[in-house]
Order: sequence, then C-alpha cells, then structure tokens
Amino acid sequence: MNLLELQGISFTYPDEEEPVFTGLSLEVPVGQSLILRGDNGSGKTTLFRILNGLSFPTAGKYIFQGTEITEKYLRDNGQAKKFHQRIGYLFQNPDIMLFNGKVYDEIAFGPRQMGLSEEEVAKRVEDCMELFHITHLADKAPYHLSGGQKKRVALASVIALNPQLLILDEPFAGLDGKSKEDLMTFLQQWKAAGKTQIIATHDEELTKRLGDAVYTM
Amino acid sequence: MLPNWLTTTEAYEPPKGGGTFAIKTMRSFGHMMGRLQFQQGHEKRHALPALVKFFLLVLAIVFLSWTHQLVALLAYAAVLLLYLSTWPPQDIWKVLRGALIAVVFSGILLAPAMMLRPEGIPNNLQLVCKVFLTVMMVSIFNHTTQWNHITGALRKLHVPGVVIFTLDLTLKYIVILGRFIYDVLTSYSLRAVGNHRKKYKSVGGVMGITFIRGANMSQEMYEAMRCRGFTDDYRGL
Repeated sequence: MNLLELQGISFTYPDEEEPVFTGLSLEVPVGQSLILRGDNGSGKTTLFRILNGLSFPTAGKYIFQGTEITEKYLRDNGQAKKFHQRIGYLFQNPDIMLFNGKVYDEIAFGPRQMGLSEEEVAKRVEDCMELFHITHLADKAPYHLSGGQKKRVALASVIALNPQLLILDEPFAGLDGKSKEDLMTFLQQWKAAGKTQIIATHDEELTKRLGDAVYTM
Repeated sequence: MLPNWLTTTEAYEPPKGGGTFAIKTMRSFGHMMGRLQFQQGHEKRHALPALVKFFLLVLAIVFLSWTHQLVALLAYAAVLLLYLSTWPPQDIWKVLRGALIAVVFSGILLAPAMMLRPEGIPNNLQLVCKVFLTVMMVSIFNHTTQWNHITGALRKLHVPGVVIFTLDLTLKYIVILGRFIYDVLTSYSLRAVGNHRKKYKSVGGVMGITFIRGANMSQEMYEAMRCRGFTDDYRGL
C-alpha cells in the first residue's frame, strides 16, 4: 500500500521560464526508506516543499494516503492541520525551526498544539529528549546550542508530533561522528517500527545502511 | 528503543476553527517579500547613469512642487503614463499600486480640509495629484535603478560613507532577514497543527530569534569585512 504517490508532477516557479523538474513520478509504500539524491539545484528542496503542501505542482498529481493534495484541499484549515501532523519535516537549516525560549518548550510546541494534557506533553518531551540525548539541554535557549545540538532539538520537536512520514533534508550536514551515529540509530529504529522516511542525502553510508530505494533527481 | 507512543499511528483530529495565525502571517509575509524583491531594480544595459537619473528625479520633484498649472501636472502625468505603458503589465500595476495607495492616504488626510473649505478643493486636488506623480516617479526610479548604482551616485554626491554603508546594509539585510522570518513562519506553520493557545508568545519568539540572527549576522559580516581589509571607509560597488 502506497503512503504517497507522485504522478508525473512538474514544477515551475512564478516569474521563471525553466521548470525545476518535469514529469516526476514516484511511489512510496508505507514503511519504505527512500533516499533522494541529486546535485545542488536539482529540485530536492522544491520537491520537499510539494510533499509538505507548501508548494503545489504546476502539472501532475500528488496523492497522499489516497487523497490528492491540492491548494484547494489544504485551504480547509482542518484538513491542512491533519495533513501537517502526519508529515514531519526536518529542514536542512535547524535555525529556522527553533523559535521558543527553551528546548523543553520547543519540543512541547507540537504536542501542546495537538491539545494533549500537560502530563502527556511532559511524557512525550522527556521521551524525545532521551531519544536524542538532550535531556541536559531542557532549560537552555535553543539559539545558544551548537549546530549538532540544534539539529537534534529540531528533530525531537518534529518527532514529538508522532508523524507517519519523516522527511529529512540533508540530516547529516554539519554533524560530528557521534551525532551522526546517534541519528543513524534513531533512523534505523524508525524504520524497524514500520514508519516511512524520505531522506535527501549524499552520505553513502546512510544510503547503504538505511535505503530501501534510491531516487536520483 | 522508540517509546510506545511513537510506534503507533496517531489518530489525531484537529479542533475546529482558529489556529490560522501562522498561515495568514506567512502568506502576507510572502507577498511582502515578493514586493521587496521587485525593488531590486531591473536596469537596462543602456540606461542613463544612476547619478543623472537621480539629478533628474530631484529636479522633476522640485519642479513638480513649484508648479501650480494644472496643464503642467497633466502633461507630467501623460508623459509618465506613456513611459509606463511600455512596461510589462505586472510591473505597471506594482508601480501604480504604490502611487494609488499614496493618493488614497493623502486624500483621507485632506478630506476634512476639503469639507471645511470647499473653495480650496482645486488646490487640495492638485496636491493629491502631485503626491501621485511624485510617488510614481520615485517608484519608477527605484524600479529602473539597481541599489548599488544608487549608493554609487550618493557617494559621488559626497554623502558620508557611513550613511551609504548603513543604507546599503539595511536594504540587503531587510531582504535576508525577511527570508529568514518567512522560513521560520513556514516551519512554525508545519508544526502548528492545532489551536495555538499562546500565539503571541510564539510571535515574540520569532521576533526574538530574528533580532538575535540579525545581530549575529551584522557582527559576523563586520568581522569578515575587517579580515578583508575594511577600514571603516565604505566604497559602494
């Protein structure tokens, strides 16, 4: 069963003549770890924007869990929120994902949005902090952290929503060996839990250890 | 090991209504960024030098403020509109929109005076017309001249380097920080999957990190410039 399907999608930015890509087709079954490869400017980030419902294909169809995702569909506030809860997106630059005063509040942001009780929120936040070894950073301001720590906090804040699909844009960029290994372990556990992930990476080891399928743009 | 809640599928139903703050803010910010990018200037290869255009603009504005002849104002408007008509429609609209907003604003400001002294209406309408033409000329100048050429022209006019430096950096960083805020709001909207109970706290957070980001960037850029021999004497490109 496919979690998502792209049927011949094309995308061109307004005011530009050259399309970013044309006729892109892709099927991602539930539980698959798809590795996305491509040179800089090949359209990986644009594709991620489409998958997240931030941009819409100029041609073709994007189907997520059997529903075509269009601008009109996401104009319904309820549908949009439901859709965004199901997809967790880790941006390449974690700085733009951290807008709360404390690491704890950053991770708690999603669960609080979902209307969970403070006990449930606390449980989720603690679990996420343990998972990424950042419990000691709970009271720190995210903008004071190192690049690797910021990335872990950003990922923890995405995971706290318990999405069905995880999209990671160059997750290893700027990480040291230990942080890479920790992240790799988490991604393997994510895969073992039968969850789906799409990862844009140039990392050979990640591709070898995790990738069920590789798509080159 | 993943915690139990993370291995199950979340049966989440978002609450009805509300929570559109981030999306609305993001959309309006996106439009604003589009306008800022438009103001980068699309200079033609054989266009007049920025200094000449700048002089002409100042002269035109001075002449416009002196003239009391309706015919002269209409001639001005005719020439400008004729020139604008050679532009692409979307650019014409962008220039006219700014000028029309200025007209509406000045019209509202002058409305009480026009109501209290009806005999002064022709003069007030002339003033509104002058506002329209001035804003349109500045907008055309802005659109047809690259910013670095404007700063170059200011330098030739012996405007102090520190003023040009401040203007230059302000414009560049408005765009960069604007993009940063847009990205932050995008990531915010992706995680704002319910009703936000404390949205103003998050607005404060977005403003706070933008301020910190701005301060860090300016410090880093100043240090990078010092490393490349910058001695506080700024020369625009």
